[in-house]
Amino acid sequence: MASPIRQRWFTPYAFLAPAIAVLGVFFLLAMVQVLYYSFTRYTPFSVDGPRWVGLENYRRLLLTERFWFCLGNSFLYLLVTPALMALSLWAAMVVESALRWAKGLRLVLFLPVVTPTIVAAIAWAVVLREDGGLINTMLGLVGIDRVPWLTEPPFTLISAMFVTLWKGFGFYMMVFLAGLLAVPKELKEAAAIDGASRFGVFRHVTLPALWPVLTLVFIISSISALKVFEEIYVTARGVPVEQQTAVPLIYLEAFEKGDYGMASAIGITLFLIILAFSLVNLRLSSRRDPAAT
Amino acid sequence: MLDRRPTWLTITLYVSAGLLAGLAIGPTLFLLLVALQPSGSNLVSIPTQPTLANFRQAWTDGDLTWPFVNSVIVTVVRSLLNVFLAALAAYPLARMNFRGRNVLFVVILATMMIPEQVIVVPMYRTIISMGLADSLIAVIIPFSVSAFGIFMCRQAFAQIPASLEEAARMDGCSSFGVWRHVMLPLSAPTLATLALFSMIGAWSELLWPLVVLQSKDNFTLPVAINQLLGEFATNPRMAYAGAVLALIPIIVAFIAAQKWLKPGLFAGAVKG
Repeated sequence: MASPIRQRWFTPYAFLAPAIAVLGVFFLLAMVQVLYYSFTRYTPFSVDGPRWVGLENYRRLLLTERFWFCLGNSFLYLLVTPALMALSLWAAMVVESALRWAKGLRLVLFLPVVTPTIVAAIAWAVVLREDGGLINTMLGLVGIDRVPWLTEPPFTLISAMFVTLWKGFGFYMMVFLAGLLAVPKELKEAAAIDGASRFGVFRHVTLPALWPVLTLVFIISSISALKVFEEIYVTARGVPVEQQTAVPLIYLEAFEKGDYGMASAIGITLFLIILAFSLVNLRLSSRRDPAAT
Repeated sequence: MLDRRPTWLTITLYVSAGLLAGLAIGPTLFLLLVALQPSGSNLVSIPTQPTLANFRQAWTDGDLTWPFVNSVIVTVVRSLLNVFLAALAAYPLARMNFRGRNVLFVVILATMMIPEQVIVVPMYRTIISMGLADSLIAVIIPFSVSAFGIFMCRQAFAQIPASLEEAARMDGCSSFGVWRHVMLPLSAPTLATLALFSMIGAWSELLWPLVVLQSKDNFTLPVAINQLLGEFATNPRMAYAGAVLALIPIIVAFIAAQKWLKPGLFAGAVKG
């Protein structure tokens, strides 16, 4: 750890100051502000700034059907998590098995991660277009009617999930790959010598060793599913906001309707849900690695 | 030693590799094909007369020149700042004893739990009160450092042997000198990976620029393309071509930097 070297008392703080200033003003202070705004009436035209209204925004929120629909859709969006985990684990196992072009494959599978979300969403919008899109054309060949992927819920939600899945699996593949490479080879070999089948080795050695990584990926991909905005905003363009998710609703309330108080109340609600996931993660990670701070 | 891989498994693996690769590049390839077709043709068809007309039109009618320049500026500056500020902050956290170290570290880590999407309203109000609305600085500053970056750098610095630091001190290095001549060079791979991640994130970001930028000349590429989608709804091929144009630079940059993409560094993310 830290070496006992003489330094002036302010040196460490000087190193930390710029980062603390940015994170302090734009994250910590903002978090306090959003909590405060959620108890106020506040619009872009409020000359005297926010005015305290107590729980009014929350009361309105609970009575608004649109809020419940969006929140429900956000939870529905969590369905992308198991698909994302399965796809990225599959990819990691293929890449780990050291085929001849494993390195090139790893690179190719990471390309969607690099792709800007709006580009990914547009590409999928083309693939999923109702008339003449790739998927509907293929479905047409086997006699299935046009699916309104981009215009009607719940298909719009599923389309956005395709984008999230496509853009995310390369990233989690790398996380799983790190986990797979950390499984001690000797353990696998010992199990094989004891007569375990390939599936047995996977089931009884690899999977348990991978458990911490699985729980971590589950939590972080769930949190990012709850935070989804760009995929929905682009693919579900033209769909009424009550058929979208929580973050697009925050955006609408704040920047199209100018109701900062309401937007903040939705933000706080979403934050509390996300916080629950983060706390579970903290719990799990302290169990994963007691040495880590 | 595990016995040799049976044939069925080898076949399964190659088929899987093909399917996954197809999934990864299929949609982008389809987008490219569609953007190359003259307007009015069928979406699902091989372009018989590929044309660059959509690209030209997206660039000129869609005014993509400034957004392109802006995106490059934002991405470069944000990546440099992310590495610089995170590395600065990580040094005392990894290497010095001082009052409040643990508290500060926990406070920094706590910002990871605050989603950008929840705090856009106060962030926007702060930017306005600083007089920075509708400027590139507004896009850059709030994301010029991240707790994740600080955490990554701290991990890397903590592994550097103390003897090196002491030797540098003996030679008369100041704290800043040690940071500059010992810490930074010895953790270059971590810093490069952090730069790569920041680059990908900055180039892609839509929500925040959409909130703070108003005038077309200040748009970043994702905002400009979002605008194209609405403004030229009758000719979506322009937006498709614009999307391809926005993709090319980041792919080139990524392939140039791909050696920094190591699973080992994702293991760090696992602990975060």
